[in-house]
Amino acid sequence: MKVKAVLLLITMMLQGSIAAETITVKGSDTMVILAQRWAELYMSKHPEVTIQVTGGGSGTGISALINGTTDICNSSRPMKQSEREKLKQRFNSLGVEIKSAKDGLAVYVHESNPVKELTLAQIKAIYTGKITNWKQLGGPEAKIILYSRENNSGTYVYFKDNVLGGDDYAAATQSMPGTAAVVNAVAKDKFGVGYGGAAYGKGIKFVKIKRDDSSPGYEPTPENVKSGDYPISRFLFLYTRSRPTGALKAYIDWILSDEGQQVVSKVGYFPIR
Amino acid sequence: MRTASLAFCLLLVSTGLSAQETASRDTALAKLAERIEELQGQLDGLNESYLESKTTVDGLKKIKITGYIQSQFQTADGDGIASFAGGNFPAGVHSRFQLRRGRVKVNYDNDITQYVLQIDVTQNGVGIKDAYASIKEPWLKTFSFTGGIFDRPFGFEISYSSSSRETPERSRLFQTLFPGERELGAKLEITPPEGSPLSIFNVKFGVLNGVLNTANENDNYKDLLGRAGFQLPFTEQNLAIDGGVSVYSGKVRSNSRASYSINTGTKNYAVDSAVTNLGGYFDRSYLGADVQVYYDLPVLGGLSLRGEFISGKQPGTSASGQFYNPGTTVTPIYNRNFAGWYINCVQNIGLQHQFVLKYDEYDPNTDVEGADVGVAGKSLNATDVKYSTLGIGWIYHWDANVKLVLYYDMVSNEKVNASATTASLLPFKEDLKDNVLTVRMQYKF
Repeated sequence: MKVKAVLLLITMMLQGSIAAETITVKGSDTMVILAQRWAELYMSKHPEVTIQVTGGGSGTGISALINGTTDICNSSRPMKQSEREKLKQRFNSLGVEIKSAKDGLAVYVHESNPVKELTLAQIKAIYTGKITNWKQLGGPEAKIILYSRENNSGTYVYFKDNVLGGDDYAAATQSMPGTAAVVNAVAKDKFGVGYGGAAYGKGIKFVKIKRDDSSPGYEPTPENVKSGDYPISRFLFLYTRSRPTGALKAYIDWILSDEGQQVVSKVGYFPIR
Repeated sequence: MRTASLAFCLLLVSTGLSAQETASRDTALAKLAERIEELQGQLDGLNESYLESKTTVDGLKKIKITGYIQSQFQTADGDGIASFAGGNFPAGVHSRFQLRRGRVKVNYDNDITQYVLQIDVTQNGVGIKDAYASIKEPWLKTFSFTGGIFDRPFGFEISYSSSSRETPERSRLFQTLFPGERELGAKLEITPPEGSPLSIFNVKFGVLNGVLNTANENDNYKDLLGRAGFQLPFTEQNLAIDGGVSVYSGKVRSNSRASYSINTGTKNYAVDSAVTNLGGYFDRSYLGADVQVYYDLPVLGGLSLRGEFISGKQPGTSASGQFYNPGTTVTPIYNRNFAGWYINCVQNIGLQHQFVLKYDEYDPNTDVEGADVGVAGKSLNATDVKYSTLGIGWIYHWDANVKLVLYYDMVSNEKVNASATTASLLPFKEDLKDNVLTVRMQYKF
């Protein structure tokens, strides 16, 4: 009898925590359009489920996961050890990481910019302030205007860790509130350079990226990203606090299904399988 | 001819009209261009203003102000009991409201340098908890140096924040060995950055006054302590195993010739009155090991098991086995071998609930048993009695800021010898009525 009462209590508590099949999703701005498309399609097929999607950046999403204010965190970078520590402290869990899509991180320049290729070392030198003029890269005599994301962005962190090798961005770098804003800025600035998800590349030109001086340059096309030839590609993650159950699990399973992965392709990212 | 004239007239009129239209269009375009230029100017102005504000905001973002308040009601089994659940109850009192902690922490983090000041405001006044500056070397980003008042780098429970800890208080073991948790000194930390294969290891090493953070240094010996730790995350399995070993090596000055230690044969204190004891130093040495296991149980949620064991030598006084700072007091030193441990289990249920079970033991004098205390002719007293505490609790996280805690400490003590006649030992013939129920509300920001 006592065991039954305890089980009933636990069931009630769990039901309370998964309130009436409403799923909140928060995090990466890079993933916000993808997450909205997933949510719209899923809700049209499962009207009993409500999915609320907001952006704010990967860091914001991870904070929300730690604070208990979102069920799923979208993140365009892996969770940091320090963030896992916070999850451990509050939820005794490391969080569950789910790879949901793949993205090529593109480097954008203005359409009129004659520079067509850059090596990873050159990109690092540009963003750390060691190369400051397009002339040093075979372009016009003009100062390079740097556009980046804000530091709560997973794209910002990924670029810093994987392209800049952990070095700091140049002080002159202008932070923009989203990838679309970076694209907009570069589209209007003849001497601008920016980076962001390949799915956002409209009104600008992708630079071909070379691993080093002797290797060929690649554009962030689906083929190049899938084959691994494109040097700056990353996974787009979903994070949950604990192993997903119920409506949350059904939704994540659907995202990973063929139907969910077709949405990935339509939005301009690359399916994980 | 008439037709040709008419056609010519029409051409003239239409040309005139067309010229008029073109002029009007040009004017409109000029106005539009002017307006765009004006708007561009405004946009540039706004952009400039945004960049200026951003610089200010970026500067302010380096300052973090956090804090929490723990307000609680407690009721004990008996009046005026000695307690480790928030301090002793006043004589004749078995229930009380307390502002257990009222912390405000200011942190200025400049990436490689850090300033931290934390104060504690309670009904007893204002006290300093942390006051330190840290520098991290910018090359390897692995070594950092800290100076000031900070958590003693020993074991796990000291550095586990009171705002996050699931039990209302630290175990008796830590409250006895490390009262106040902090000390004044310098600390070196080695924490390899993420991505490094060595990032699973960390080392903390401190040199401290060894007199508690509320006193000034009174000798030239410094206490050395440190912890070598590891963190093994198995993310695929949602399992983490962390742990470490800690060492404390310090000295306590004796202001008296008399120094007492246990004679293990007679199980009683034996006095050493050598002249060299006056102004001499006695070892304060601890050795500890801690382990924490975290596992996400399917359906239920995160589970943690944490345990810690410390043993060593603690110089104290006849009346106290606590961390001792002699200052200028002329009191004989009592050297005791001690041991203590705890195990703590926390199960998360859903988003808002946590259940806690904790058991701890502290034996301030491992060379004697409870039955030795109170025997005629022996100078052992209540300070040599072993305690164990079983705690059970429920935590409800109201929201991201507020949590409510219901916790019950069931404290058991060793029974002293039935023949004991000393008045202070008589209550120890039975288990003391010193269980405590705590109801706490915490607000954290």
